[in-house]
Amino acid sequence: MSVTQANATTSSTCWSCRAATAGQHFCPACGKIQPLPRETDYFAFFGLPRKLHLETAELEKRFHRLSWKLHPDNFVRAGEYERDLSLDRASQLNDAYRALRDPISRVEYLLAREGMRKEGENKQQAPPELLEEVFELNESLDELRSARQAGGDGNAMAALRSRLEAEQRNFEERLREVDADLDGVFSQWDAAIDAGAGEAARKKLMIRMNELLNRRSYIRNLVANVQRELGEA
Amino acid sequence: MAYSDKVIEHYNNPRNVGSLPKDDPNVGTGLVGAPECGDVMKLQMKINPQTEVVEEAKFKTFGCGSAIASSSLATEWVKGKTVDQALAIKNTDIVRELSLPPVKIHCSVLAEDAIKAAVGDWKKKKGVAAPATETATAQD
Repeated sequence: MSVTQANATTSSTCWSCRAATAGQHFCPACGKIQPLPRETDYFAFFGLPRKLHLETAELEKRFHRLSWKLHPDNFVRAGEYERDLSLDRASQLNDAYRALRDPISRVEYLLAREGMRKEGENKQQAPPELLEEVFELNESLDELRSARQAGGDGNAMAALRSRLEAEQRNFEERLREVDADLDGVFSQWDAAIDAGAGEAARKKLMIRMNELLNRRSYIRNLVANVQRELGEA
Repeated sequence: MAYSDKVIEHYNNPRNVGSLPKDDPNVGTGLVGAPECGDVMKLQMKINPQTEVVEEAKFKTFGCGSAIASSSLATEWVKGKTVDQALAIKNTDIVRELSLPPVKIHCSVLAEDAIKAAVGDWKKKKGVAAPATETATAQD
């Protein structure tokens, strides 16, 4: 795609007629498709507020409407530049939809965008009270694995199995608790957005959500591991 | 993703797997985790109270090959070092030694954190034990 042209028009004026576009997909004056701004916010892409309890039906409706409007088939007779723009926007649409339709990936997206979830060298803090439990459960899983490989005796295996099954129920329950907690913070976040809450209040909620997501990823991994091991045993 | 030869070597022949008695006053235990991948790493060191030299180190890691290799290497490196020398080990040293790719840097961070946590635990134990002996001698 023509880079100079794209860069020149990342501001919010139409590349074709110079009217103000306010970041919309199409110029309100001449109707031409517009290039993506350098940093697209997925919520803004759908014209939605940055709330975490999204109405899935509404999101889906907007997704279908936009897929139809942005689809490259509509631009076969347009110039190369507009065809490129439609491809850009159509693929962005799919990314945005994928990120927002699931509540967990939605909050992960929001936090990542706000610089709250840094991967790699800027590490995440692990919930300390969970670590001990995670470690012990992993050790039990290890035991079951080696007992099975050794063709271990039936009674020991059965005892190990029932202990792990109890742990599995325990952690599944904990996963539900974390999800309920997250849901509660989502409501607080949405209320804060509605009230136009300041940076500090929003940051506090984001820190809380981040902690809950960290707990959740441990617990979810554990549940998956236990399920897999018990399935094989 | 392809692992470097050194990672594979540590993964296939991990050094110092196991555990040390947690309640031993000379043993420091560090338990750390990385939520992004769900890894959990335990690193223990037995430290000579007179010389402050790490005499023994053990680890157990549940996680990917890079996390296992990072902690295996960390136990090798801390052995024979003083506590201060062990604390000077940086995650970047581990990255370099194991040629970890950028997406696996957090594994080396975890190993560095585990060393710090183990030393912290040991210092805490020593701090708790020290005033107790003081009171004991004061009563004499």
